Amino acid sequence: MDLLQAVVNGVLIGGVYAVTSIGLTLVFGVMEIVNFAHAAFLMLGMYIAYHAWALFGIDPLLGSLIALVVVFALGAVLQRTLITPILKAPQVSQIFLTVGLLLALENAALIAFGSEFRSVQTPYQTSALRIGGIFVSVPYLAAFLMSVASGAALSLFLRRTAVGQAMRATAQNPTAARLVGIDVTRMYWIAFGLGTGLTAFGGAVILPYMTVFPTVGGQFVVLMFTVVVLGGLGSISGAMVGGVVVGIIQSVSALLFPIHLQNLVLFLVFIAVLAVKPTGLLGAGR
Amino acid sequence: MKRWRRCLPAVVLVGLAAAAPLVLDPLGYPMRVLTLVFLFAAMGQAWNLLGGLANQVSLGHAAFFGIGAYTSTILLRDHGVTPWIGMLVGGAIAVVAAVALSIPTFRLRGHYFALATLAFGEVLRVVANSWTEVTGGPVGISVPFLGDDLAMFQFTSSVPYYYIMLAALVGVSVVFWRIKAGRLGYRLRALKENPEAAEVIGVDTYRAKLAAMLVSAFITALLGTLYAQLNYFFDPDTIFGLATVSVRMALVAIVGGLGSVWGPIAGAAFLIPVEEFANAFLTNQAAGVSQLFYSLLLIAVILLEPRGLVALGERARRLARREGRP
Amino acid sequence: MSEVVLRVTDLSRRFGGLEAVRRVSFDLRRGEILGLIGPNGAGKTTLFNLLVGLVRPSAGRISLEGRDVTGWPPHRVAAAGMTKTFQNVALFGEMSVLDNVLTGGLVRRSLKEARALAERVLARVGLDGIAGKRAADLSFPERSRVELARALCTEPRVLLLDEVMAALTPVEMNEVVDLIRSLRDEGLTLVVVEHHMRPIMSLCDRILALDFGEVIADGPPARIARDPAVVRAYLGKAHGEPAGPDAGAAAPR
Repeated sequence: MDLLQAVVNGVLIGGVYAVTSIGLTLVFGVMEIVNFAHAAFLMLGMYIAYHAWALFGIDPLLGSLIALVVVFALGAVLQRTLITPILKAPQVSQIFLTVGLLLALENAALIAFGSEFRSVQTPYQTSALRIGGIFVSVPYLAAFLMSVASGAALSLFLRRTAVGQAMRATAQNPTAARLVGIDVTRMYWIAFGLGTGLTAFGGAVILPYMTVFPTVGGQFVVLMFTVVVLGGLGSISGAMVGGVVVGIIQSVSALLFPIHLQNLVLFLVFIAVLAVKPTGLLGAGR
Repeated sequence: MKRWRRCLPAVVLVGLAAAAPLVLDPLGYPMRVLTLVFLFAAMGQAWNLLGGLANQVSLGHAAFFGIGAYTSTILLRDHGVTPWIGMLVGGAIAVVAAVALSIPTFRLRGHYFALATLAFGEVLRVVANSWTEVTGGPVGISVPFLGDDLAMFQFTSSVPYYYIMLAALVGVSVVFWRIKAGRLGYRLRALKENPEAAEVIGVDTYRAKLAAMLVSAFITALLGTLYAQLNYFFDPDTIFGLATVSVRMALVAIVGGLGSVWGPIAGAAFLIPVEEFANAFLTNQAAGVSQLFYSLLLIAVILLEPRGLVALGERARRLARREGRP
Repeated sequence: MSEVVLRVTDLSRRFGGLEAVRRVSFDLRRGEILGLIGPNGAGKTTLFNLLVGLVRPSAGRISLEGRDVTGWPPHRVAAAGMTKTFQNVALFGEMSVLDNVLTGGLVRRSLKEARALAERVLARVGLDGIAGKRAADLSFPERSRVELARALCTEPRVLLLDEVMAALTPVEMNEVVDLIRSLRDEGLTLVVVEHHMRPIMSLCDRILALDFGEVIADGPPARIARDPAVVRAYLGKAHGEPAGPDAGAAAPR
């Protein structure tokens, strides 16, 4: 029963991990850039939702939409100013530019918001549903449902809209995309904005059960990369599956191992995937 | 005759550095800053072996640094083992870890390696923070104070530490120089330019990269012990930190010039004093200002000249030469 | 008849649905110069990539001087005595000409020996004047020559040359032909891919013709020139038929 509870929790958290990681894999798929700053956008999303709640009383689940829009805009701007110049640069430069961005964002947040831990209070924060013998925490469930909804929306966007299809084409072959008239530069900033925006969205929906502080992204770094590698770098459906798998692994290892080993377990899974099947569980990555 | 002339600037600089303690106040700030410059230049040089010569970007060298620091300190605190030996044990553990990291990732594209090293550094940081019985947890760990004891690698004056760091920098630089000038250096340069072609003409690219990785990890762990002894204290967030260690040592090498033996030295000579200066003047401001400044500097350097200060200097020289012509 | 120095048996490679090389078999004897011809996309470069180990075969065996080198990584094949030059020339741009060539020598020699060997090889191919120049600054024919020198510095038994005569003037072409002949006279065995028919016909003892990954003819130049299958392969393509997907690239990762 404990195990089943852990698995259920894992799935719920995993859905959120999936949504926050989708952005990372989307950016890589379209631009071949690994955005090491990605977790910082999660933190930004949390802060935006926090302030929307603190200043205007907006519930974080709604605030997530504000976070999505604001960070989309920020992401687009950053892509055009910082990312575009290094698209053709050597890998060292690409890696360190986004690492620099990570540190800049974290420290800017530290200066702007201070280092205190902050959390929101929502009426449903401590409620739980009881299904069978399993407790389903309401904030977890809400976050999960919002994540699934956004994942589905993204999927529809990529498959059914012209812009979405153009983006998929760009991800497959930028040169060919250019030749058929797709504005690849536009695809890049849309993808980056969307990717970072979705992560911010994910951060906001978990605010009801998480505290926010400037380096909160740090705990998610290994997690996000594990999700993305598990699912295959560049594969969106892979990220969804990877998210749930990582959530379950994390939840179950919390049950079985002392705290200092839990993160290690995740890391070992990460390395094992790289060693055995670097293209991810579904084999869809690059 | 020619080689002797080429070594001259280096010899002069080392001579000047060695003479400095004669005029500097041992309790003073400049001495401390110089000691840190030497340490970070050495760390940058170690990172340079992998990141500059072999073109493998590691974002987790803090892992090796921390392994060295924790191993020697725990051995000293719990078993009275001298850090001179503890250093080597730490180095050995770092090498084992480096191999374990490299085997799955070296055959993949560069960013997988960067990810794996980043994850490794972070994981060790979290483990050190939570494994309180062994590491002391988030409050950190102290090197037991033993007074003046060469055998136990402790001194009451800052001067011996200065000379040890200087010697470490010279040592690591010589290692870098000899590797670059030797067979491994050629192989690494070849695989950096075109790994396929390198393989076809007989370069075992995997083995070459692994060799660079092992030397780099070993040296970094030794430097971790040196840091622990110098500082008497450290905590997981500092010693395993992405910003405080991993990125800093890479930045020193990048800003100074990747792949060149002078790069990290120039980089550290520029960055560390600037950072100390910023810290001194900005401690009244919010925390994070100096790190923000640091990260913006990193971004600026990359956008301006991805190949670092040394290359920037070359570019400037080339421009000056061209302008000189009518 | 001299001994067999390279034996290829039923070598095949598929990329998904495409069979780039199909059941290719041939023997190479010491001191032979084997020509490899075929229309674009016939699988010549893929065959070379298979032989040096850049690409793993889907089936078949490669035996070099009696040793089974099938599936060996390229650096081991080079150590065993077989290497190739790249069609598009793959020099180490930031390194000097001498350093490029010297790196080839490191597979068997110490640094000092490799340097001395590289200097001799450069003199041999007529490039000692540019030993200090940066490789990326050279003209294409010079780069091609340096690549050849680098391959020679690995002291191979079998050397695979992929279009070394591309973009050369007739005079330069004759120089290369003479060079190849003298290399053979010193004991080297070569396989040469070339699109220019005249040097191939005069240089090669034997010619292997490939089309769609298969051997369609194997024999002395005079016979090959008249072989109906070979003529069809070339003329058929020239009549506007698409030349088939280019199977020369290495496999996607």
